[in-house]
Amino acid sequence: MIPRLLYLPASIGLALLVLPLAGLLLQVDWPGLPALLLSQEALQPLGLSLATASVSTVLCLLLGVPLAVVIARSQPRVAGLLRALVTVPLVLPPLVGGIALLSLLGRGGVLGSTLELAGLRIPFTTAAVVIAQTFVALPFLVIAVEGALRTAGVRYERVAATLGAGRGTVFARITLPLVAPGLLAGTVLSFARALGEFGATALFAGNQAGVTRTMPLAIYTAFNGSGVTTDQAVALSLLLIAVAVIILVLVGTRRASVLS
Amino acid sequence: MTPALWKSAANALLEANLQLTRGSFTLDVQLTLAPGEVLALLGPNGSGKSTVLDLLAGLATPDAGTVTIDGAVLTAPGRFVPPERRAIGLLGQDSLLFPHLSARANVAFALRVGDAQLNASEARKEADRWLDRVGLKDFGGSLPRALSGGQQQRVALARALAAGPRVLLLDEPMAALDAETAPFMRQLIREQLAETGTSAIIVTHDIVDAVVLANRVAVLHDGALIDEGTTAEVLAAPRNPFVAALAGVNLIVGTVQSGGVVAPDGRMFWVRPADADDLDATGPGAAVFRPASVVVQTEQPRHASPRNVWSARVTAIEPGSGGVRLRTSGDPEVIAELTPAAVADLGLQLGSTVWLSVKATEVSAYRR
Repeated sequence: MIPRLLYLPASIGLALLVLPLAGLLLQVDWPGLPALLLSQEALQPLGLSLATASVSTVLCLLLGVPLAVVIARSQPRVAGLLRALVTVPLVLPPLVGGIALLSLLGRGGVLGSTLELAGLRIPFTTAAVVIAQTFVALPFLVIAVEGALRTAGVRYERVAATLGAGRGTVFARITLPLVAPGLLAGTVLSFARALGEFGATALFAGNQAGVTRTMPLAIYTAFNGSGVTTDQAVALSLLLIAVAVIILVLVGTRRASVLS
Repeated sequence: MTPALWKSAANALLEANLQLTRGSFTLDVQLTLAPGEVLALLGPNGSGKSTVLDLLAGLATPDAGTVTIDGAVLTAPGRFVPPERRAIGLLGQDSLLFPHLSARANVAFALRVGDAQLNASEARKEADRWLDRVGLKDFGGSLPRALSGGQQQRVALARALAAGPRVLLLDEPMAALDAETAPFMRQLIREQLAETGTSAIIVTHDIVDAVVLANRVAVLHDGALIDEGTTAEVLAAPRNPFVAALAGVNLIVGTVQSGGVVAPDGRMFWVRPADADDLDATGPGAAVFRPASVVVQTEQPRHASPRNVWSARVTAIEPGSGGVRLRTSGDPEVIAELTPAAVADLGLQLGSTVWLSVKATEVSAYRR
C-alpha cells in the first residue's frame, strides 16, 4: 500500500544516511587500525568521553525526571511555558549553548565571577565538559519522560492513592515503572547526545588532552592535523560509531524484554 | 427530601455536604451513609454522580462543604485530608490494575500500603487468600493483560477490599463487562461487601444493581438529590422521568419461598428455574419482569403451564413507550403494557377487574 512515487525520495534519504558512513569505512586504514586505536591519543579521549557522558546521563536522570514530572502534572498553561523553555537548548546551535554557558559561568560571567571569589573555576575543567553535555542532553530526557508521563495519565496514581499509598510510594512503585519505556528511550537519547557533544564543550571546556578532550574533540583535533593524521580521525570516528551501536543494541534488547 | 436524608445522621458513618460549581454545572448534595449500609446513587449521565465520588474520595475539592467519616473531618473549609489518608476506596468501571504487577502483587500492594500495613511476605500470602475469595486462586502470577475483563475486575475488587476501606465507592463497576460476566460480578460484590461488612456507595445506571446491592437509593439529577428512600419505595413512585424509565420494570421486593418470591400482599411470583436455583431457600429476594410480559385477560385463564396468574383492578390507563400502560392494584402494583387495540378489544376501563398472567420464564429473580 505504499505509493510508488515515495520510493525515490525514500531511497535518496537512506543513501544520504548510509553512504557517508560507508565512505568512512572505505577510508579506514585497516592494517594500521589496532595500533591507532590502542594509542594513548585514542584511549584517553574514549575513557574521558565514556566517563563524562555517563556522569551527564546520571545528572540528566536526577534532574530531568523530576522536571518531567513537574511539567507533566502542571496546569496546561504552565506546562506549555516550561516545555518551551526546556526545548530551547534543543534548537540552539551547540556553539551558542557554549557561549551562553561561558556568559553565566565564565570568568566574567554573572555567576562565574562570584564562584571565582569562592575559589571555584569551572570553565576549561572536566566539570565544564559534564555541564556542557548535560545542558545539551537534558532536553531529550525531559521530553521523552514527560511524554510518557502524560500518556500514562494519573488514573493509576489516583487508584494507588485511594488504596492508601503516599505520594513517594506511588511515584516509586507505580509512576516510574509505568514510564519505564520512555525513561529508557530518554536515557539512551541523552547518553548518545552527551557522547557526541562537540560545540558547547569546545567553547566552554576547551580542548585539553586528558582533561576536556573528549572523542569528538579528539576527532576534530586529529582531522585538523595538529600532530596526528587523518587516519587517526577516521579511526576515532569508527570507534565512536562502534560504541554508539553497541549501546543501542544492548539497550534495544533490554528494552524488548521490558516491553514484552 | 433533605430532612429524610439527615434522619439517619445520628448513627452515620459518612456524612457529606458538598457544593461545587464548574461552568454552568452546579452540584449541591447532602448525603449520609450508615455503618454497613450500601447506598445506590442513580442518575442520568452528567448528573454529577462521579463528581460526588471524587469529592468523597479526596480526588477533587468542593467549593464549599464538609465530608466526615466516623466524626473525623476529611474535607472542610481550610482542611483537606489527601486520598491516601481517607481510607475511602474506589472501584471504577475500568479495573485499573497496575499493568506491570501480577494479580498477586496488585492485591499485595493494597495490603502493604493500606489499613493492614503488612510486610512483603505476609502481604503475598494474604493476597493469595484474597484471590481465592474472588475465585482466582490460580491466577496470582498472571499479569493483568493475561486476564479477561471480568477476571481483572475481580482482582480489582479484591485489591480495593484488601486495602481495608471504611467506605468503598463503586462507580459503575459492571458497565464494562459483558452480559454474561456482569451478574457474576454483581453477586461477588454483594457477597464480599456483606462478608467484610464494608459500607459502600454504588453509582449505577442499572436498576438491577440497586435492587441486588443496595439497601437505599438516592437519585441525583442536575447536581441535586431529587429522591431518596428504600429501593422499593423509590421505584414504586418514581418522581422524575429518569427514575420512571429505570423503573420501567415491575419490581417485586419480598421474601423467597420455595423457589419464588412472595410479595408483601401475599402474591407468589414463580421465577425462571435458573434464577430460582440461585436464590437462598428463605430470606429477602426480588422478582423483576417487563410490563410487556404481562398478559391481560378478562376471563380467568385455564392453562396449566408454569405461570403466575392473579386478578386485579385497573387503577390507571396511561400512554407508555410501547403502547398503553395499565396500572393494576396490589402491593406492589403491577404495570402491564399492551396495544391500544387490545385495550379496546378487552373493553378495559378504570376499575375493570382483569386476570393477569406472567410466565415464570419471563421473571428474573435476585437475592437481596
